[in-house]
Amino acid sequence: MLEIRWHSRAGQGAVTGAKGLGDVVANTGKEVQAFAFYGSAKRGAAMTAYNRIDDELIINHEKFMKPDYVLVIDPALAFSADITANEKENTKYIITTHHTKDELIELIPKLKGKSVHVVDCMKISMDTIGRAIPNTPMLGALMKVSGMFDIEYFKNAMLKVLSKFPQKIIDANMAAITRAYSEVK
Amino acid sequence: MAEKLKLQEVEVWDGNMAFAQAMRQAQIDVVAAYPITPSTPTVHGYAKFLSDGYIDGEFVLVESEHAAMSGCVGAAAAGGRVATATSSQGFALMIEVLYQASGMRLPIVLGLVNRALASPLNVNGDHSDMYLGRDAGWIMIDAFNAQEAYDLMLMGFKIGEDLSVRLPVIINQDGFITSHTAQNVKPLSDDTAYNFIGDYKEVNPMLDFAKPITYGAQTEEDWHFEFKARQHKALMDSSKVISDVFEEFKSLTNREYKRVESYLMDDAEVAIVALGSTVESAVQAAKDLRKNRGIKAGVVATRVIRPFPIKEVAEALKNVKAIATLDRSAPGGTMGMLFNEISAALYQSESRPVISNYIYGLGGRDMTQADIKEVYADIVKNAKAGKLVTPLQQFSGLRGPKLSFFN
Amino acid sequence: MEYKGWDQVEAGAVLPSFNDESCDIVNKKQEERNYADTNSYTASVADWRVFKPVFNKDVCIDCQNCWVFCPDTAIVSRDKAMLGIDYDHCKGCGICADVCPTNPKSLIMFFENDDNDTMLSQWPEKKKKEK
Repeated sequence: MLEIRWHSRAGQGAVTGAKGLGDVVANTGKEVQAFAFYGSAKRGAAMTAYNRIDDELIINHEKFMKPDYVLVIDPALAFSADITANEKENTKYIITTHHTKDELIELIPKLKGKSVHVVDCMKISMDTIGRAIPNTPMLGALMKVSGMFDIEYFKNAMLKVLSKFPQKIIDANMAAITRAYSEVK
Repeated sequence: MAEKLKLQEVEVWDGNMAFAQAMRQAQIDVVAAYPITPSTPTVHGYAKFLSDGYIDGEFVLVESEHAAMSGCVGAAAAGGRVATATSSQGFALMIEVLYQASGMRLPIVLGLVNRALASPLNVNGDHSDMYLGRDAGWIMIDAFNAQEAYDLMLMGFKIGEDLSVRLPVIINQDGFITSHTAQNVKPLSDDTAYNFIGDYKEVNPMLDFAKPITYGAQTEEDWHFEFKARQHKALMDSSKVISDVFEEFKSLTNREYKRVESYLMDDAEVAIVALGSTVESAVQAAKDLRKNRGIKAGVVATRVIRPFPIKEVAEALKNVKAIATLDRSAPGGTMGMLFNEISAALYQSESRPVISNYIYGLGGRDMTQADIKEVYADIVKNAKAGKLVTPLQQFSGLRGPKLSFFN
Repeated sequence: MEYKGWDQVEAGAVLPSFNDESCDIVNKKQEERNYADTNSYTASVADWRVFKPVFNKDVCIDCQNCWVFCPDTAIVSRDKAMLGIDYDHCKGCGICADVCPTNPKSLIMFFENDDNDTMLSQWPEKKKKEK
């Protein structure tokens, strides 16, 4: 069982990202879960979304999770949210930030000694999509760090997920995925 | 003519999308609805399918849930296939009309996405609304995940509309935990799904002008009892149709449903009885306990809540030594519903397992694997002692000093 | 109506109005219609009355006021010609007599056990307008 926790603000697309990842993974014959903690949260409020991926049918419906990957798609949440909650020894962090990895670890000391990866999903999404929707670039970064799928396979699968959007938006998302894949450190 | 949707073999849908897709495939004549969290996406999804041309039917946006169910009653009496969806406060507002629907024997299907009842206000999942409706004379079926929500929504039409049943049907699923969690769902093709349900069969339609009829007659003490008795008999007798439809669905899809579901029960010594997504979580915990601790743990769930499968549930639990009944609804001054119903069922059999009650998960409080394993640890103690050594009723997953009753 | 057991009553208390097909029912006179037992037409409320309206066709101008106002559709009128009272369904409320505009009235309330012909023979005279 692979478990992923997303830290996001409502409106940044973490749920869409989690479901998009779910769509891609399900196409490979694996079982997925994608869910989120909802309250009466408004756009901008901190929230978390989750993925479970397994070879077998997923029957565990607890919200509690010790994540294998923590994906932080809003730069401020790396500081204000409890991103290391329920971590495992080998939990991998992919954090959206304009800082370098060393700068970030200096600023957030609890990340010292952990497997931390940084990528500026905000800048990438602004440059490519033109809006601060950092979910698809984060998926590109996750493909690089996890090696879950070959990037070309993943992009092809995402085309299907994004098929309801206009071509321009699809192209921008593809560019965002590619850039994050190559820029994550 | 409605357009058809080409679905993939495996879709990733949440429970609401599962409901909306099944409702689309059923080609409902009238949906009257007043959207409420967490069932809003069911209604939203259905309305979008309709406006995009995938459904030939009417969608009536009304001014309250009372009006929504009233619209459903009117449309069903007029002679069409009718459904709606709601949750929580909306369901509470529908209650008066729910009794009218069942009393008039109208096979309306209601997708109930379970949510807590205020106060305090809460949008998350528990079974307060499900429990509120249990005397309303509707068939009540519970889905534990999105796949089941889809399957059972399809079957709900076939069951309720059966000529020997003609009763309204509630299909439950857990708010958020199921309704907003996307999982792999294997849908049927549009044609297969529709043909499984079949065309709507009219009984006493008001739009048959050659045969004017009165719905909603007044009957006092000289007639009322006979009508209610006939209605109860129809509800009790629907068990067979429900089982038959489950069987037919299995031959079509290889997915098996039973009025009482048993998991890991062949040699189980302790069992949890639960509803909703907790059933599956408990199966996960039972698997772990069997593998790692050698505990013979099992799970039993009443898939069909009304008509309550008294004989089948007693049979499923006859060999266990201790049972925990898990109720996700504040019982309001008594034991939880499952405790009462399971105890009553077992009292009609020879077996006398030790039975206790847990109140858990109110307002969407997470029921973790650790919580479930604690419950199993308790009933293992009861099983070993051969008598109750834990309190009769406990609260699980609650902050503050341990809360229990009848210690 | 005969009482039925639970196994005999109509599911859902859905009650038919007529015993047969009734597509053209509007063109049939009430007495020609095949009313079902569950239709209120077959129930008599005659014994509710203390007073009864008596109809005097010599004074009536067929204005249909009584027909419009009767709460129990107990005024029998055909082709806008007033025929009389349906005494099976009249409860004796007196509205018809009240709304009757003729002078003297064409509908007057009498005791239930008064004889109609006697009452008609003693019908009041036209009242003169008071100056």
